[in-house]
Amino acid sequence: MSAAIDSPEPGQRSNHGSGPVVWAAIIATTCLLLLVFQKMLWLVVPFLLALILYYFLYPPVKLLIYRGMSRDAASTLVTLGFLALLLVLGIALTPWLTAQLADKNVSRYVEGGLQLLDNSLRSIEAHWPTLAGARLADTVAARLAQGAGTVADHLEPVAIGIMAWAPSLMLAPFLAFFFLRDGRRFKRFLSAAVPNAFFEKTLYLLHEIDRTARAYFMGLISLTVLDTLTLAAGLWALGIPGPLALGLICAVLAWVPYVGSILGGLLVVLVAATDFPDAPGMAYWAIALFVGVRLLDDFVYMPLTIGKSLELHPLVTVLMIFVGGAVAGISGLMLVLPVLGVVMVIGETIGLIVTDPRLMARHRHALALRRQQASSDL
Amino acid sequence: MVSLFRPSKTSPRLERLHQLSLFVNLTPAELQIVDGLLHERDFLDGEVIFDEGEEGQAIYIIASGEVLISRHEHWDAARAAPAGGNDPAVSHPRRRQGDSGRVAQLGPGTFFGELALLDDSPRSAQARAASPCQLIVFFRDDFVGLLDTHARIASKISRQLARHLGARMRDMALTVGAYHHLL
Repeated sequence: MSAAIDSPEPGQRSNHGSGPVVWAAIIATTCLLLLVFQKMLWLVVPFLLALILYYFLYPPVKLLIYRGMSRDAASTLVTLGFLALLLVLGIALTPWLTAQLADKNVSRYVEGGLQLLDNSLRSIEAHWPTLAGARLADTVAARLAQGAGTVADHLEPVAIGIMAWAPSLMLAPFLAFFFLRDGRRFKRFLSAAVPNAFFEKTLYLLHEIDRTARAYFMGLISLTVLDTLTLAAGLWALGIPGPLALGLICAVLAWVPYVGSILGGLLVVLVAATDFPDAPGMAYWAIALFVGVRLLDDFVYMPLTIGKSLELHPLVTVLMIFVGGAVAGISGLMLVLPVLGVVMVIGETIGLIVTDPRLMARHRHALALRRQQASSDL
Repeated sequence: MVSLFRPSKTSPRLERLHQLSLFVNLTPAELQIVDGLLHERDFLDGEVIFDEGEEGQAIYIIASGEVLISRHEHWDAARAAPAGGNDPAVSHPRRRQGDSGRVAQLGPGTFFGELALLDDSPRSAQARAASPCQLIVFFRDDFVGLLDTHARIASKISRQLARHLGARMRDMALTVGAYHHLL
């Protein structure tokens, strides 16, 4: 026997949404967290990568559990499988990568870019006598020759940086494994610490945080696909070789708003300038394409994918990206949207609980009952 | 590798879950998945579990103790007035004389708040612990997740839920004398 006690009743709900005070607190907390995260990137970056890995590996784990495997075994098997795949890819790609570097391809593309810059400046000087008088092209060429050094000089700090970050990045699969194995226990552990009066709201909060994070990372994947396709189509139309690979690299670089885009743009221009040395117009077209795609990305794709997945207004998305950059630089640009999404859910839920007099009264009543029980035989 | 996919061994906890009518059709492997979604809460005698009018987020299954379900009087009158007119039997279909808002008192193995699994409508009655009790909580969004990922398990639970709601509708129809619509 039981009782069906949930039927619709008009006029019973009192969900007024978040007010300006809650939103001010959400934005302030987001900025504060970005500042803190900037100081501990060694932990935040592997944590973020682990989250992406978690959402990527979760479906096969779920499938194995449904087939009758225990959660521990399924998490271990899937994580080991992923690491084995990484190892195989690493072994397969290392000779190719080494060959590319040994063939001085990097130097060739850098020289191609410098040549394009020199040609462009000399062309401008030919049209502007004032600049020709200032010998701008010669000055820039001399400074670049003085400061550029060899490619090996630049590769060395990059290699040292990768080695310094390697232990921290190796944390990512380790963390992802524990998210997969113990994520649900952690959720239960958190909800067990919540008073009965707020329990249902807290369950909803935890669910929303999970949904928000999942939506964000799924949005990021959609954004990468859209960027790749748009860039690849444009590069293919221009006749630049390897449009899909270039588009994908640029789309992944664009995970870091603005800075990643500039690096991606530079890459495309270097390829265009080197592979078409006699057609400088090709490099300019590549720049125009890249600027167009970036504008499309920042003002249309990103608000429509990531912004929409977080249920943020497009204007708030764009403004918060600028705020994140101003508060915490590159890490702020990268982290601002996921952090805002999670803080928004927590802030709105706490706002709803604290301003609900009935929930607070029930909590006080439960506390009084517990006090009474504890002192009943004293 | 084959041994990894052996049917899960049952445990006293899973056996206890299997005895609950909502999960009676689930296999041990399926019960293990559902068990990962369940929460346990302890309530003291007199503590409110949820209120009338509150948005329902979860179904509650009584593991031990008793729970009192009650409703405010104005609630019954307001919902029945437009449809039932002045007929007292229709305007207060669930109340009996002397109940003063009390709908039911439920014991171990039973469940309440089941419509929260199906929609996000407000609770139409208050649930309060009638003795110290332990409740198992099944959150609606976890059930919705099951529908997406483990449709077989969700359909077994839905079937039990539908059976239970059908029995309740039949009871109600018998109370108001309209059972011929439900045969």
